Amino acid sequence: MTNEQAVADIINLSEGDSSLANEIRELGGEELLECIQCAKCAAACPLALAGFSFFNKRVIQAVLMGLRDALLDDSSIWACQSCNRCTEICPREVNPFEIIQAMRRVAIREFALPTLSIEGLKSLYDTGHAVYLAGAGNTRNKVGLPEKPPSTVANPEALKELQAILRKTALAELGIIPMEEPGV
Amino acid sequence: MKVGFFVGCNTAFNRPDLEQAVRYAFPALGIELDNLEGQSCCPSWGTMPSVDVVGWCVVGARNHTIAEEKGLDIVTVCGSCYGSLAESKYKMDTHPEIKEQVNNILKDFGREYKGTSNVRLTFYYLYHELGPDKIKEAIKYKLDGLKVALQPGCHTLWPSKVYYDKEEDPFHPRVLKEMCEALGATVGHYTRLIDCCGMGAMRSTDMEKSLKLVERKLLSMKSEVNPDLIVTGCSSCLIQLDTAQEFLRNSKKINFEIPVLHYMQVLALCLGADPEKVTGLAKTNVKPIIERIVG
Repeated sequence: MTNEQAVADIINLSEGDSSLANEIRELGGEELLECIQCAKCAAACPLALAGFSFFNKRVIQAVLMGLRDALLDDSSIWACQSCNRCTEICPREVNPFEIIQAMRRVAIREFALPTLSIEGLKSLYDTGHAVYLAGAGNTRNKVGLPEKPPSTVANPEALKELQAILRKTALAELGIIPMEEPGV
Repeated sequence: MKVGFFVGCNTAFNRPDLEQAVRYAFPALGIELDNLEGQSCCPSWGTMPSVDVVGWCVVGARNHTIAEEKGLDIVTVCGSCYGSLAESKYKMDTHPEIKEQVNNILKDFGREYKGTSNVRLTFYYLYHELGPDKIKEAIKYKLDGLKVALQPGCHTLWPSKVYYDKEEDPFHPRVLKEMCEALGATVGHYTRLIDCCGMGAMRSTDMEKSLKLVERKLLSMKSEVNPDLIVTGCSSCLIQLDTAQEFLRNSKKINFEIPVLHYMQVLALCLGADPEKVTGLAKTNVKPIIERIVG
């Protein structure tokens, strides 16, 4: 390794973005600063087991170091299974899962979210279900069920109510998906 | 006894045979199901929970209030619905400021979140409300020594603080085991019992890594238990274990197939349900298992 490469591999802490930690704490990761990097969460994490670059402990470490771009450029946080082994096992009650969720909330505010999440949000707004299969009516009939489940898809008024509720959430302010009021 | 059935997305649209199994088994055990008309998505992790805490809780709260108005607890077969609904409830119950913001939105719609309905997973509900002995008495067909490997599922266990029904030790779960034994199954232990199946956000983000987890799990099951059947406690685990085996065989990672059913499907079969209706959408070949159970 040449000296030049060696230098490039060193993380320059003074270039870190110190506002990131505050943002995370405001968006649900209140216990961030309680973390002592003991890595109990990492030992239990499916993301670590599957070989993703950033899992709970490393996300927290990167947030504390202000490595905003490194986290935004990587898909790891979106692969989190929300399994909460980390929440269960953390000796400091940091709630690492919630910090990964908070990092997703940061990413969404910078429009750095995967297409699948946009589609899920759009589907939630349009049908009331994040996962909705238009052709499922036949499958449901095949096993003797009515074409539509008793949810927002079978109750237009309930869907309208849900949409009106969603228009009062942060989702509407972010402008990620079209959320016009019907008929407007 | 009556309870609200929260059907969710994947069960309603991907595996309605599992929905049908719940709709058969509960009444057969004397428990009436309410449809919770107008329910929506829980909401699932990649949507509102990734946007905003209050936005997550308000969509959850709308669902909670549908059950609260009827004075019912909520049951679901989906781990994600169970986790998301239980966590939104926990957040609102432990953070008055979140609950206040949620109710500020809901009041315009004539709703108020109170926190009076508990969120339950089907097999935990049956375990606590009826118990394994009553289920043993109610079934028409027994599994009679059928060798079973379990997949309890992540959200059925963690974080235990948000759940109404708890395991004594969530890293060594025993409820699903007892519930399968009540049906006459022989349940084998394997090292990767509590490992994640890789479904969900991981599968949508990186299929290869997701398959790696399910491969390890299947190999551990096969070599340590060699089961006739895999029984899951979660609808997402059902979909992953049922569909991933073909991918893994095609890429020569495994050379076997193990049939997969959700606990509620096995229970419905034992109670005498029409196998086509309650298991008809399985990708793995469950026919030999049905023949062994129903004869």
